[in-house]
Amino acid sequence: MTTVRIFFEKQGEAAYISLLDLQRVFHRVLKRSGLPVWYTQGFNPHIYLAFCSPLSLGQESLCESCEVKTEADAPDCAAWAAALRPYMPRGITVLSAAPAVHRMGEISAADYRLTLPAAALPALEAYNAAPAAPVTKKTKRGEKTIDLKEILPRLGWQRAGDSLAVPVRLPCAEGANLNPALLLGWLQQQGDIAPWQCRILRTALLLPDGTEFC
Amino acid sequence: MPELSQKLRQALSAVQKPGRYTGGEPGCTYKDAAAVDVRMAFCFPDTYEIGMSFLGMKILYELLNDHANWWCERCFLPWVDMKAEMERLDIPLYALESKDPLTAFDIVGFSLEYELCYTNVLAMLRLAGIPLRAAQRDGRWPLIIAGGPCVCNAEPMADFFDAMQLGEGEEMLQSICAAVETAKKHGWDKNRLLLALAQIPGVYVPAFYTVEYGADGRFRSIRPNRPGVPEKVTRAIVKDLDSIPPPRDFVVPMVGAVQDRACVEVLRGCVRGCRFCQAGQIYRPFRERSPERISQSARTLCQNTGYDELSLSSLSTSDHSRLEQTLDAINAWAPAEHVSLSLPSLRVDNFSQSLVEKTTRVRKSGLTFAAEAGTQRLRDVINKNVSWEQLERTCRIAFSQGYTAVKLYFMMGLPTETMEDIKGIADTCQRVVDLYYSLDHARGKGVQVTASVACFVPKPWTPFQFCQQDRRETLREKQKYLLSCVRSRKVKINYHDSATSVLEGVFAKGDRRLGKVIETAFENGACYDTWEEFFDYDRWLAAFAACGLDPDFYNYRALGPDEPLPWDHLDVGVRRAYLVREYQKALRAEPSPPCDRQCSGCGADKLLGRPCF
Repeated sequence: MTTVRIFFEKQGEAAYISLLDLQRVFHRVLKRSGLPVWYTQGFNPHIYLAFCSPLSLGQESLCESCEVKTEADAPDCAAWAAALRPYMPRGITVLSAAPAVHRMGEISAADYRLTLPAAALPALEAYNAAPAAPVTKKTKRGEKTIDLKEILPRLGWQRAGDSLAVPVRLPCAEGANLNPALLLGWLQQQGDIAPWQCRILRTALLLPDGTEFC
Repeated sequence: MPELSQKLRQALSAVQKPGRYTGGEPGCTYKDAAAVDVRMAFCFPDTYEIGMSFLGMKILYELLNDHANWWCERCFLPWVDMKAEMERLDIPLYALESKDPLTAFDIVGFSLEYELCYTNVLAMLRLAGIPLRAAQRDGRWPLIIAGGPCVCNAEPMADFFDAMQLGEGEEMLQSICAAVETAKKHGWDKNRLLLALAQIPGVYVPAFYTVEYGADGRFRSIRPNRPGVPEKVTRAIVKDLDSIPPPRDFVVPMVGAVQDRACVEVLRGCVRGCRFCQAGQIYRPFRERSPERISQSARTLCQNTGYDELSLSSLSTSDHSRLEQTLDAINAWAPAEHVSLSLPSLRVDNFSQSLVEKTTRVRKSGLTFAAEAGTQRLRDVINKNVSWEQLERTCRIAFSQGYTAVKLYFMMGLPTETMEDIKGIADTCQRVVDLYYSLDHARGKGVQVTASVACFVPKPWTPFQFCQQDRRETLREKQKYLLSCVRSRKVKINYHDSATSVLEGVFAKGDRRLGKVIETAFENGACYDTWEEFFDYDRWLAAFAACGLDPDFYNYRALGPDEPLPWDHLDVGVRRAYLVREYQKALRAEPSPPCDRQCSGCGADKLLGRPCF
């Protein structure tokens, strides 16, 4: 049995597809493609699929992935990607498919690019000047306050026309995940930054040694 | 992919389930707006989840988009939060594929499936910035049209539409689009276009008809007010269902729709002739698709959509004369392609062991049967040809197959109904419970019998159109009495308030004067009336009062057999004489056989131009 990982971008309209909806979409696209994917062997057999580190609703990504299994020996992965591409909803672009190298549990961090309006500059400066940046994280076990500065001591940014591009690296592991929306929320509290002027784009998923997950 | 506008992104960031407003689902059709000749926005006046469950839209969407130079897109009523955001940010209602506002379209078409959606239609027009009344719109506005079962009494909504379609849209809507294409090419004005539309079989142009009322406030007549317009508009039908294949592909919703599965329509019409049922009359004559066509279409549809659940739909799927053959054909490929089959609308009287076995891949959760009335006498009155013996046999099969929940549909407020009949509902449920315990059943596994009891609403084009509706006080009393008759915790009774049924009855049988009431209620905030939490009966009563109309006049008054009716200028197929005959038989508790066994002479065969069977 081979685990095949399908990498895809999720942008534009597709940012509004939730994880639950995405599972439905992949299920149907895979079924439609006729690829020899493995079905679970239970009472209601269904295509086995797993998404790693799902995005929050409204966030975009260049590096999403979904893994499936196949009993085919040495699947032709380029053909797989080509077979899936035409059936995807607008905004989801299949980049590649490949036998999985790493396990999902090995992911430890994610790179994001926040795009903010120029008006966010004082908020960014305030972040760097602040001794602490507490935010409340909601988990299954209740609310928890964490200090963003412990994870992210300084923010850097680049001006791009009317907006600011802010690259950040945040923990992204089972049990130690930090949603970039929390950082955005802290910045928005500092001043009038309209949420719809901000975009969160995930650019890479990383292993502990800093290499890219694949 | 069109970049979402900043305003739209702003709205989407503030609402629940934004995926309902973005489009982009697999199976959408995209075309170059500048390169097509006719653009139509197919509007469903309810939420995305409900509209995306509607098979009619999928059928017409594909048929229209098969024309290279026409582009049909979808539009739904946004939910309360999104509607508020769109109003606040001044985002006009747009179609999901192109995100263009409805005003950019040539045709804006609404499907009228249910009377309580009428205010939703007005809400969508308002959100699009389109004047509500047809008389307020000149040729610069899109042509606003309607279709769907409610058009069989078009009058309450007649003021708002330029044209309304009576009957099946497959051919009619294509003719309308073709007429619009011609009109654009030749620069016709609106009047000329409407005259052309009035020639299309099934198309009703309300502005071309004048209504008269008597001194007593009763409807008197409706007649064409210019030459070249038919006295009677005859319902359009597809004579041979196999001539129009079911959709090859669906737009597959990502945000779950209520009905989210592949669906093939196996037949149209119904042979049963239940006297309360409008669908059973207005979709006549009975026509079937062939087993080969059904199986082949289902397979293609599942392959194209990726659905793993297939449903065979119709008013009464088990009445298909070759259903078993159809199921065998489907079962020849479905399991290997991971597709499971379900059959909605099974009937008590021809539910068989082999039918259950052929659909066993469906999860055994519960079964639903429509008994409709609690006593044999009343079932004979309404011509629901179901006996207790059949119900017992059916439940016996179901229980032996492992089912433990049975849901039964009933109505109250039926003509000639007495408290004895109400008690019969509880008794019937209790007998099903007793049956379960008299059979071998898994130890410790109980049975649940749920009775869903709706308030009867007399509908036009049925033998019961002549009846008055039960008053609300009477219905309340009956509900209370029914509850007092239930002695077991295994029996659960569901019913709801009768206020929506009152309104449904008024609009079902109403006349053109009601347009003003609908508009007034809408201007005073009525919308989402199908959603209990937004339905405000007092607001409706106030609207009636403001318009000087009495709702009681419409549904608490029996109609005479010869009385002129607001739907007299429409011809759905069945004749008045037949309806009167059936009504008189009902009062004598005399059933009529299904029409595949013996013809009752309803008159719908004239649409076919040959005998139905």
